[in-house]
Amino acid sequence: MEKKKIIFKINGVEKTVEVEPNKTLLWLIREVLKLKGTKKACERGDCGLCTVLLNGEPVKSCLVLAVEVDGSEIVTVEGLSRDGELTPIQKAFIEHGALQCGFCTPAFVIVGHWLLNRNPNPSREEVVEALNGVLCRCTGYRPIIEAILDVAKKRK
Amino acid sequence: MLPKIEYSCPQTLEELFEILEKYKEQAKVLAGGTDLLVSLRDRIEKARHIVDIKKIKELEKLEYREGEGLVIGATVTLRKILESRVVKERYPVLWEAVRTIGDMILKNRATLVGNICNASPAADSAPALLILEAKVRILSREGFREVPIENFFTGVKKTILKPWEIVKEVFVPEPPRNHFGRYLKMMRVMSEDLSVVGVAGLGYREGGDVKIRLAYSSVAPTPLRIREAEEAFLKPGTIEEKIERAVQIAAEKVSPISDVRGSAEYRLHLVKVLTRRLLKQIVEVV
Repeated sequence: MEKKKIIFKINGVEKTVEVEPNKTLLWLIREVLKLKGTKKACERGDCGLCTVLLNGEPVKSCLVLAVEVDGSEIVTVEGLSRDGELTPIQKAFIEHGALQCGFCTPAFVIVGHWLLNRNPNPSREEVVEALNGVLCRCTGYRPIIEAILDVAKKRK
Repeated sequence: MLPKIEYSCPQTLEELFEILEKYKEQAKVLAGGTDLLVSLRDRIEKARHIVDIKKIKELEKLEYREGEGLVIGATVTLRKILESRVVKERYPVLWEAVRTIGDMILKNRATLVGNICNASPAADSAPALLILEAKVRILSREGFREVPIENFFTGVKKTILKPWEIVKEVFVPEPPRNHFGRYLKMMRVMSEDLSVVGVAGLGYREGGDVKIRLAYSSVAPTPLRIREAEEAFLKPGTIEEKIERAVQIAAEKVSPISDVRGSAEYRLHLVKVLTRRLLKQIVEVV
């Protein structure tokens, strides 16, 4: 299989990588760039734990080919904080204990960021709907929803 | 792990058709990839060459013209459709159906044209497009053809599309004036899932009569419009009689199967319940 050269930005840093066309963005993030915050789970787009921001929109990185991100900008959970300071969403997750095993947390944090960027004051229903692509296998949704609503409330 | 594939990302339709003609059935078109990559991984679909159409400008169109209709290009995502005010206001049944496809993350990648090309019996956009009498605009190097969506699906995961053709866009004509349309979808869980049964319906007044249209997902090998039920509704009788007649005919025309999402018997029951519920809503509004 012929490798393709792709150039992209991840968490603000430009990278040039050669990849085979059958590799996913998830593989690129975890196995080449060694960013392990993005989790590999169902690998068929059902659970959403591999969610990252691609040009500002959340995508399930198991359903994106690495070659597709040529020229794009990617943000993973590692790229959210600035100068070692956690983001308000990350802090709220800690305050609300919005995690049990923690495996789905990076994906919920990513989706929470996206939601509040496009809709700074969501209703509870809008938060629930925005989160419907990420599965918490411990079923601890309530504190996750409350953490996101709390950030919106404090910003007002 | 995905099988070995080649990948190309043409910038023009000309380049795209060159690739499709070269590889024919060994080429698969990639837009959102939310169905294709899963099928490749599961070895349900085989492909040697993946051709990504997202860089082709002619396929990005989402455009409404008053008095004519709506054009939805091959690479228009469900997110764009959901965010379109004109779709929400002029084509509420389509908007409601699109809202139920996949989840909020998949909508950033998945496309409406992909939803129909995948040709699942459960394709949620299909019943809405059927009752809106959409046309599928197909393009190849040989030329252009426009096919009513009712003739597009030929079986489970099968369409009339030839390997060297693509769906350039879907055209949705102006719906009947003052129509009321809805998509009712029964799922196993509250948040997001494939349908157990889906029903799209719309109603409008013409002369003194209320006319209806009905189409279904997950009740037959293809998404299905049931014109016999629509016609039965027009025959004389009280509103209750009309509704019951349409419900009975719809139940006779579907051929549901049993699978992980529900039994054939349950689906048949849902066809009756959802059709009745939808028709009652329609006659209340129009």
